[in-house]
Amino acid sequence: MSAPAPSGGPTTVRGRLPGPADTPTRLRLLAGVLVVVAVPAGLLAAQASWSASASLGRAADAADQLTRVQGVQNGLLQADADATNAFLIGGLEPPEQRVRYETAMGDAAQGVAQAARAQPADAEVLAALNATVMTYTGAVERARATNRQGLPVGAQYLRVASGDLRADAIPLLQALQEAGQSRAEAELDSARTAWLPAAAAVLVSLLVSVVASVWLARRTRRVLNLPVVVGGGVLLAVLVAATVALVVAAGTAERVWAGSYAAERALSDARVAAFDAKSNESLTLVSRGSGAAFEEAWQVSATTVGDRLDAAAPLVADGADLVAGWQDYTARHEEVRALDDGGGWEAAVDLATTTEAEGTNAAFTAFDVASAGVLTSVGAETRTALDGARGSLVLLGGLCLGAGVVAAVLGWRGVARRLEEYR
Amino acid sequence: MSAPGARRAPAVRAAGVLAVALGVLLAGCTTAAYAPTPLPSDTPSATAEAAPAAPPAAADCEDPLASYAPSDQVPDPEDLPTGSRAAEIRDRGRLVVGVSADSLLLGSRNPLSGQVEGFDIDMARLVADALFDDPDAVELRVITAAERIPLLEDGSVDLVARNMTITCERWDQIAFSAEYYRSGQKVLVPLGSEATSLDDLGGQRVCAPGGSTSLDRLAEFPDVVPVAANSHTDCLVRFQQGQVDAITGDDTVLAGLSAQDPYAAVVGDTFTDEPYGLGMNAEDVDLVRFVNAVLAEAVADGSWKASYDRWLAEALGPAPAPPVPDYGRG
Repeated sequence: MSAPAPSGGPTTVRGRLPGPADTPTRLRLLAGVLVVVAVPAGLLAAQASWSASASLGRAADAADQLTRVQGVQNGLLQADADATNAFLIGGLEPPEQRVRYETAMGDAAQGVAQAARAQPADAEVLAALNATVMTYTGAVERARATNRQGLPVGAQYLRVASGDLRADAIPLLQALQEAGQSRAEAELDSARTAWLPAAAAVLVSLLVSVVASVWLARRTRRVLNLPVVVGGGVLLAVLVAATVALVVAAGTAERVWAGSYAAERALSDARVAAFDAKSNESLTLVSRGSGAAFEEAWQVSATTVGDRLDAAAPLVADGADLVAGWQDYTARHEEVRALDDGGGWEAAVDLATTTEAEGTNAAFTAFDVASAGVLTSVGAETRTALDGARGSLVLLGGLCLGAGVVAAVLGWRGVARRLEEYR
Repeated sequence: MSAPGARRAPAVRAAGVLAVALGVLLAGCTTAAYAPTPLPSDTPSATAEAAPAAPPAAADCEDPLASYAPSDQVPDPEDLPTGSRAAEIRDRGRLVVGVSADSLLLGSRNPLSGQVEGFDIDMARLVADALFDDPDAVELRVITAAERIPLLEDGSVDLVARNMTITCERWDQIAFSAEYYRSGQKVLVPLGSEATSLDDLGGQRVCAPGGSTSLDRLAEFPDVVPVAANSHTDCLVRFQQGQVDAITGDDTVLAGLSAQDPYAAVVGDTFTDEPYGLGMNAEDVDLVRFVNAVLAEAVADGSWKASYDRWLAEALGPAPAPPVPDYGRG
């Protein structure tokens, strides 16, 4: 409101509303202020609630997308671990290992399609990923077919497939994960700060209600203007409720970020590195004596697994069991290395390929199953917590908007009644 | 300012504010369109196509084929002089041999049995048999062509049995046994190609393993585009994927490659001499003598020919006369 002061000179009286000297005009001015403050205040709080709710929803979507992408990465590396391990055995790979390979590749392919649908911004990178996955499966099938004929070129196709998978697909998956994480972070950040505009709306409407009531009381010989007070009260109550809900939601976002979501990321990283390590264990043996580079890669991956498991362990149930399960596998891997380095290549291969309980495969599968279970449950926890935090925000946003309108109407009417007295 | 006008003005303004706010609101509520996830920038391929180094200046030596003279017969393992390299290996209980696992016929892993087998492997097993009375007392370390000399120099392997050509430059770094097979370089081209030698392959991409004499030889054909791969099998993969047009290498190796691909043909005559020797550390003269004795015995008792017949006869024809050993190094 910026009604110009009349040229009649400074006639501002007590009260904080400057303007024309006659009371009816001032009353009209006051009514306008009440409307103009109440509706935007309600809108502001509604917008804060709704956008916080949307942010939390998008953060959950981004977390879901990360889960999908990491599922794809897990699937690819698991398939590669199975393919390379089967190669150690020869042309007659165990059927169950073949089934695992196919299941893992199928999961990865489905994951790519689902991820592309869920986040169109990822589509270009996912398309590139799809192309590398097709090249990889083609090379692995060629390797298998050739291997089955007893031709040494099969092992080379496998090495090329495995190497290209790491060189081409992993950077794409990393790009997807970085994008997903920064999206989730940005959304959680905006959810964390959404209470600020709502709180500002509370303060402004509180101030205006009090000032208007005081001014009316002085001007109109009535202690309370009921509609104005009721309107202000309703607006205030709803805005405070929304602000409290937003602060609670921010706290939940914070907790999820540092809790189940952090655990999910750490576990996923650990699993990806674990499958990488398992592939490298096989490739070390496939290279038979000149696999030092693959063993070095195993060491790097194993260190990553250890670090990420240590990060996840305090955040999940059975964290210590996961760490112990991984150590069980690494101990057996050391046995394999000791055998191979001591000239016992055949014995090392036996230990690395057997499905019996004492082999590396059994220990690794146990870790795989256990960590996958925990990963699924923390993923569900993240989604549930974020959905829970959204809870009543949409409803509260609607109430804020409604309260703003109600307060405006009541304020207008309350003032209009006083205005009648001047006719 | 009339009363109705005054009454309307705030309402109109409020409606205006409301509309603007709703716009903001809607903008905030619609699905956020994120910027597309950026594609990672292209990283250079790990297996860059490397041009071969200029051929090393041919080191002069009187006779590259000259090796160290063995005793008249293979020494009994018990009689090996203390402190000698052969005795050291005997005490360790196994012979560590650098081999190829993907050169069909010479040294390749049989995917069905998991065993590495071939003509070169037989030579290594003959040495193990003489040392331990057990041809299986070998630790076969699969190595690439480029790793042969470094691993011999640092003592990681006792012996290299991996289609290794005896040359003067290599004598500067390591020692060789007497020649045990005479091979020669040929080219492998797609079936139906009219090329019969490297001269016919101008402008074409020809593959050979890095660190091999075959790759060095390509530098003598400036029109040919050389492509270095990790191994000959890697060359075959690239050949089958259309990344190279031809492969060059020893006739023995190419025979193994063409056996894996019915659409490949080995053409022309050998245009180089590739005398194969077993590589050893330059210091291990006693081991070289021992190995030479083993090889001489293998030729004499027919096991050399038996091995040739088993692996190479089908691809390369009946067994030639075994190379005559040259013990010119005293």
